[in-house]
Amino acid sequence: MDLEPFMLRALLAALFLGPLCGFIGVFVTARRMSFFSDTVAHAALAGVALGFWLGLADPTVPMVLFSLLIAGLILWLRERTDLLNDTIMALLLSGSVALGMVILSLLKGFRGELDRYLFGDILSVGWSDVWLALGALVGVGSVLLLRLNALALMTAHADLAHVSGVPVRGLNYAFVGLLTLTVALSIRLLGIILVTSLVVIPPAAARNLSASLRQQILLSLLLGILGAGGGVALSYPLNLPSGPCITLTLATLFIGSLVASRARRPARIAP
Amino acid sequence: MDIAFRPQRSASIEVRDLQVSLGGNPVLRGVDLRIEAGRMVALIGPNGSGKTTLLRCLLGLQQPHRGSIRLLGEGPPGPRLLRRVGYVPQRLQLDPSFMLTVREFLAIRRPGTAGWFWRPSRFVDDQLHEAVAEMDVTRLLDRPVAGLSGGQLQRVLICSSLLNEPELLLLDEPTAGVDTPGEEDFYGLIADVHRRRGLTVVLVSHDLSMVYRHASRVYALNGVICCEGSPDEVMNAESLKRAYGIHFTPYHHHHHHTHGGHGP
Repeated sequence: MDLEPFMLRALLAALFLGPLCGFIGVFVTARRMSFFSDTVAHAALAGVALGFWLGLADPTVPMVLFSLLIAGLILWLRERTDLLNDTIMALLLSGSVALGMVILSLLKGFRGELDRYLFGDILSVGWSDVWLALGALVGVGSVLLLRLNALALMTAHADLAHVSGVPVRGLNYAFVGLLTLTVALSIRLLGIILVTSLVVIPPAAARNLSASLRQQILLSLLLGILGAGGGVALSYPLNLPSGPCITLTLATLFIGSLVASRARRPARIAP
Repeated sequence: MDIAFRPQRSASIEVRDLQVSLGGNPVLRGVDLRIEAGRMVALIGPNGSGKTTLLRCLLGLQQPHRGSIRLLGEGPPGPRLLRRVGYVPQRLQLDPSFMLTVREFLAIRRPGTAGWFWRPSRFVDDQLHEAVAEMDVTRLLDRPVAGLSGGQLQRVLICSSLLNEPELLLLDEPTAGVDTPGEEDFYGLIADVHRRRGLTVVLVSHDLSMVYRHASRVYALNGVICCEGSPDEVMNAESLKRAYGIHFTPYHHHHHHTHGGHGP
């Protein structure tokens, strides 16, 4: 079968971003940062709107920058105020969406564009997005691998990590930055509303089948590839937006993992 | 050099006039503390007495507003000195969604890159082996850390802190999650480690009863060190009774203990 060029681009982006989201997701779920991921994704809407307002053909740069700005704001408010985490994020999530919608309403003719950013669209993945995805996989993936001990220890106990010589504050900032970048770049495929599914479902499904962190990470990478790749592959023939296709594929894999873990309990895979 | 800091016997912890306020409330109001090397001691105090704050200062997690700390006779707690200190927290913040096993937890405590991830069979070396046997956690190695009982987790935490051969071991409420029958075994285990390795052990706790059996010296904290001495001296001190309130009744031990808290 001949692969259409847009299909090739979308599949490549999925094969790069799927495992990256699966990898970083293991730490996102363990550190209870799913809502954080959702918030920086929604912040991207304001970035997209700003990009259109500035007349940019490709709003990737303002999208990533605005998400990073909101991520920084979350950290800053967390340190400087005694507001609860949830409150800070709900505030910034709704605030960014409102800002994005107001800007888009003032501009004419972007209604159709909005849907592809909300739910993902394989047609919108350009070669620059593919290279960015590959760059993120290599760059973010290497940092995660090289700092795996420190990251896992910080996840287990931040103070213990500090006493063991881990620069906890710096590593946390780096992690937040890398997560925000990963999420923002995955929006083309999954859309703002569904992007967190690729970060959260693979590690959750992998957990059902794993007996160690190593297995959970490896399985989460694999499930990220299967979910993102499978969803993109289904999106074209079914003529559906790619975001829902990827999320439903992931949800199916999750249900499968749940059934498999019930079936094999109490015996688990040897480490 | 300050003359008051000159050691009679080398000190593991020297704290002078330590003052910390949190949110405008003075929590530590001039703590003076000297813990000699090689002892097993208890730092006790009721809730709100500043135990946690003092511990955080000792670990470099909290900056004091006034006063000084010297660890291991060298200086304030910094990254290099803290490498020679073992810290055993009350519990981990682990979410059950994180499948970290005990074996992996011990492996990530080692500095450097994650060899365990690439070659999972290759990281059990002699040093790991020794601490694992010492704390009796061999059976737990492949269990997820998030699923351990309080007592099992404490043994794992101590085991992991022994991996870099600390000279000072700080335990925060070590039996908070341990059931009563398990407590005695647990302190026995710590006392064995203390004896065998000759390190300084500081038990930070609000639990007075353990003091009798396991510490050779007790420091009672209530914003300041309100009294210090042998367990018997401290338990009968008026200042301790005031610190804990009038309903305080000390634990009475019936038998002379066979293990625990004698300094080397």
